[in-house]
Amino acid sequence: MFDPDRLTRPASPSPDKKLGDDSGPSKPDIQKPEGGNELLKRMKKVDPDQAKRYRQRSGE
Amino acid sequence: MKQILAGVETEYGLLVEGRGAENQIDDAQALVRAYSGPCFVGWDHRYESPRADLRGFTEKALRFDPEDAKFDVGRARSADSEIRSDRVLPNGARLYNDHGHPEYSTPECLSLHELALHDKAGELAILRAARAYSEQSGREVWIYKNNTDFHGASYGTHENYLIPRSLGFEKLYAAVTPMLIARQILCGAGKVGSETGGAARYQLSQRADFFTESASVDTLYRRPVFNTRDEPHANPADWIRLHVIAGDANMMPSCTSRKVGLIKIALELCKRNETPKWDIPDPMRAFRDVSRDEKREYRVELRGKNWTTAYDILDSYLCAYDSVFDEDESDPELRQVVLECRALAEKLRSGADVSHDIDWAAKHALLAQYVDSENVAWDDPSLRSFDLEYCNIDPENGLFAALAEMGSVAPLPSTEELEARLRQVFEPTRALARGLAVSKFGDRLMGASWTSLTFRGGYDPLEVLLPPDREYGSQLEATESVESFIDNIRGA
Repeated sequence: MFDPDRLTRPASPSPDKKLGDDSGPSKPDIQKPEGGNELLKRMKKVDPDQAKRYRQRSGE
Repeated sequence: MKQILAGVETEYGLLVEGRGAENQIDDAQALVRAYSGPCFVGWDHRYESPRADLRGFTEKALRFDPEDAKFDVGRARSADSEIRSDRVLPNGARLYNDHGHPEYSTPECLSLHELALHDKAGELAILRAARAYSEQSGREVWIYKNNTDFHGASYGTHENYLIPRSLGFEKLYAAVTPMLIARQILCGAGKVGSETGGAARYQLSQRADFFTESASVDTLYRRPVFNTRDEPHANPADWIRLHVIAGDANMMPSCTSRKVGLIKIALELCKRNETPKWDIPDPMRAFRDVSRDEKREYRVELRGKNWTTAYDILDSYLCAYDSVFDEDESDPELRQVVLECRALAEKLRSGADVSHDIDWAAKHALLAQYVDSENVAWDDPSLRSFDLEYCNIDPENGLFAALAEMGSVAPLPSTEELEARLRQVFEPTRALARGLAVSKFGDRLMGASWTSLTFRGGYDPLEVLLPPDREYGSQLEATESVESFIDNIRGA
């Protein structure tokens, strides 16, 4: 059953942790996408300045 | 369990060769008008009330971005309806120009799966309009399904949920706000850098930089985490349309269905008075802190100097849903969302790779590969261009499309599946009636909106309301006249 007392307390696993602690999960082991060379080829076609000239009106 | 009616509206980014933001309204207008698929031209704006607030008052005016006003100096504009150039598609969707952004609003759907397909079909509609406009104008056109221009302007991807009026603002705010903050770890589209506040290398959310209020009716400027617009597009005595503006535009259909599914879980719990209680004193800061946390700890400050994490907030909702709704009672799609989110959150927490299933992680992996191979820094300006091109909806150029081709992300729906969704809606919602009005009786249709349809009659116009909670069956497809179509909708 859902227990609201448990859920409104600071999170486990370390109840002694306070805000500002530097400890945290280690860096995830991200795997690179497969077919990297093909992807890099496509990335190299991207105009590196595209974002610089991309200006938009604000929307909602 | 009766599923919650929902829709997604996406304002697309638009770049036209040789043109700037000062031309954007004209360009978006021309682009929408270049759409050559079957549609009804026009929209009935009578039932719109964007200034009404859920808290019981109406704002005198909505705030506008002062930067945008500079683009309009010395420019005469035509009437709003001309600028918007609304098109209603045979699937019940709305295609129009919203403040210079081509916007596709999906038909209302009950199913998460169908809604995600319609969101993806919207890309196809916008892409076709863009190609037609490019051919007409002789200019290259780029369309981005994202929410920022990296120069301080943002534009939205909004979700809409039809819920009983009896829930009211207080309960909804308490039920939905913690979920909005937490769900970005499983649904964010990812973004290089920051546009407000301190520096950030990479964020989960495209929108986190732009929230300055916890709750308000505004959407264009001084945006809130929780939007209080009270515009139900249905009988206001019975219904609220919860208007969520805090989400990102997703390239992955699985992220679209997950982000909508998580809000539906929060709303189902709210209806049962079983919402987990999280007292978050500063939702803007919490949203931003989670978005920017590259340690993937995702702490959220609570009132009383306590703290929790986005993982625990999500888990509290998932556990509550499991606890409150047994298998017979629950929505199978939401049950699947619970299982999937639990598994993904666990992978994320353990540091495993989630780039196959979450937009922000797929984009991050793509950029990390480039950073490693080219030995560039994360603040290299080119990375923002790659971020942008991840969201390019042209499958020949977009980087997300490249990842999909390579099988690096979950498989995408086929073009045939999307074509079919542009032709009609397969959901028994009022979108079916709206779409059929376009495809069967378009020659007599005078106006369409989320709320009603108006046809030319013998002497006076014939208007029929579209109640959102009734089932629109396939018998509507068999009707042969406008009159029998209207009778059928009215249940005569």
